[in-house]
Amino acid sequence: MSQAALTTERRNPAFYALVVALIVMALGPIVMMISTSLKLNVDVMGETSSLLFMPTVANYETVLCDVLWYTPERVEYCDPTFGRALGNSLIIALASTAITLIIGTMAAYALVRFRFMGRGTVSMTSLMMRMVPPAVLLVPVFGIWTFDFCVGESCAAGTYWGIVLVYVAMNLPFVIWILQSFIVQVPIQLEEAARVDGANPFQVFFLVVLPLIKPGLAAAAIFTFRIAWNEFLLANALLDRNTRTVPVTIVNSLTEYDIDWGVIMATGSLLAIPPIIFTFVASKQIITGMTAGAVKG
Amino acid sequence: MPRIRLENLTKSYGSLDVIHGIDLVMQENEFTVLVGPSGCGKSTTLRMIAGLESVSAGEIYMGEKAVSKLEPKERDIAMVFQDYALYPHMNVAKNMSFALRLQKTPKKEIDKKVSEVAAILGLERFLHRKPAELSGGQRQRVAMGRALTRDASTFLFDEPLSNLDAKLRGQMRAELALMSQRVKKNMVYVTHDQVEAMTLGDRIIVMQDGHIRQQGTPEELFKHPSSKFVAGFIGSPPMNFLSATLQDNSGIVSVVGEGFCFQLSEQRASRAKKISGNDVIVGIRPSDLYLNPSADVANQLTLSVLVSEYIGAQSILHAQCGDNHLSVEIKSEQPVALGESLIFSASPEGLHLFDKKTELAI
Repeated sequence: MSQAALTTERRNPAFYALVVALIVMALGPIVMMISTSLKLNVDVMGETSSLLFMPTVANYETVLCDVLWYTPERVEYCDPTFGRALGNSLIIALASTAITLIIGTMAAYALVRFRFMGRGTVSMTSLMMRMVPPAVLLVPVFGIWTFDFCVGESCAAGTYWGIVLVYVAMNLPFVIWILQSFIVQVPIQLEEAARVDGANPFQVFFLVVLPLIKPGLAAAAIFTFRIAWNEFLLANALLDRNTRTVPVTIVNSLTEYDIDWGVIMATGSLLAIPPIIFTFVASKQIITGMTAGAVKG
Repeated sequence: MPRIRLENLTKSYGSLDVIHGIDLVMQENEFTVLVGPSGCGKSTTLRMIAGLESVSAGEIYMGEKAVSKLEPKERDIAMVFQDYALYPHMNVAKNMSFALRLQKTPKKEIDKKVSEVAAILGLERFLHRKPAELSGGQRQRVAMGRALTRDASTFLFDEPLSNLDAKLRGQMRAELALMSQRVKKNMVYVTHDQVEAMTLGDRIIVMQDGHIRQQGTPEELFKHPSSKFVAGFIGSPPMNFLSATLQDNSGIVSVVGEGFCFQLSEQRASRAKKISGNDVIVGIRPSDLYLNPSADVANQLTLSVLVSEYIGAQSILHAQCGDNHLSVEIKSEQPVALGESLIFSASPEGLHLFDKKTELAI
């Protein structure tokens, strides 16, 4: 009896081996990135490359040189690229997240609550847009953004709004799709009650519906932010040197003459921070049972 | 408080008519109850009055104003929903003050009004709780509180008690009755429960299939139902119906069926004959039958007892009379053996006659 209990408690060693392997696979690259970012190039390239080294913040100083309040001694030439790219990434990711959510909630609300011709079709096919791989979009988008979407001299390519437009279009279908399922869960009686209480359609939407789909908004925000933040293909094609995002900058700093691994890894580590903070904040909003107590218990 | 008048009010979904042009006047400060089986259109009617459902034809007047095209908020109404519909992200106080806050009422006034209503409903201790932290009865009270904090002229109730358990329902019913005496407003109340209708209503509107079948005070409906439907719907336990024929024995007309025979007054008999010939339906309420072993053969009903339900001072007998099943209310002291044959009498006022074809009262 106790024998049997013991055997079920003590699992097969292969199980632990698998777990360890998975952990190494998951954490290995991150550990490597962080440790490399703390090494000087001598340590990175050295024959005795190991986990034993003198950590340094020099790479971070190089990356952030024009953002820091002091001038790092070791940096002879301050390249503003990385600092600028971080700023660009933040602006583009936040703007596309905000715009996607605003348009997405309204579209989802309309699809759920309003009756109009072709509602079912729109609801179904909106997700199909998402099925097109970004790589397929690359060439036509580049062409249109460079030659067609122009106001006077300036064209959409290379501008913030140009790339934000692409990201919004890319993420909107999925966001609408997620939010629809959240809006369906808001009991229609709540909206009726609000209307009787004297709310106009916008007040119903903003004061009653929106607070109740907060978890959906948070999930959609994390999703959109992450994609806009990490996207490389379209950003690489559309953005110029002043508006480039971090992923593009990292890849561009791999040149045939010099690869500064320490700086690249430091940039990578910094790149990971905003999405982590964003996800951490947004996920606090993801709680179940938002509509508990609304109707009959 | 304005008088509410429905004029030829019609609702159709495509080619399907749900409400067939009803006309109705609700007097000032009257507690009107719309009652009927589910699907009879009572809730739809209420929702049209509220403005939540569009009106297909006809008009709703509040006072002299036609309101059928107005938004709910322009109609000066407050509504209590069947499943409460409380805003789950707001606490009780915020729920109750939502309408006032939308009207940009000064905060002082809101606080005063909320605490006033909370005191009436016994909700003071819960003002800072969210709806999810309240019991069903408390939520229902908050829903009523939300309606009460507004100074609307008309209150609409859409089956507000149907989600509560039996005991709580009785208690809330009493509270509602008390509230309607204290707050002099128009109240329109929808329910499928005839007990609620009888106890609360100044006037009851019985609906069936989108038509008004009868309206009147609870007493009128109980004593003089206009049709078999109303007779069967109002009263608990429901009225017994027996098929019978009219028999003329040298001037004395009786309704006769299997196991019973009742003499009719001359006036009634001639009316019955004129309207429906020989075939009629006799309706007798369970409470209108009384044990009378020495009853005249020409004026009695013989039952064999199937089941006796003891409910305290009264017992309900389920019995058979010919092929018909009947229920009878008797005093519980009366010993009754199952299978026993008993002889009952009925007073002439307790006999209701209905036409067999139209099912209208004679």
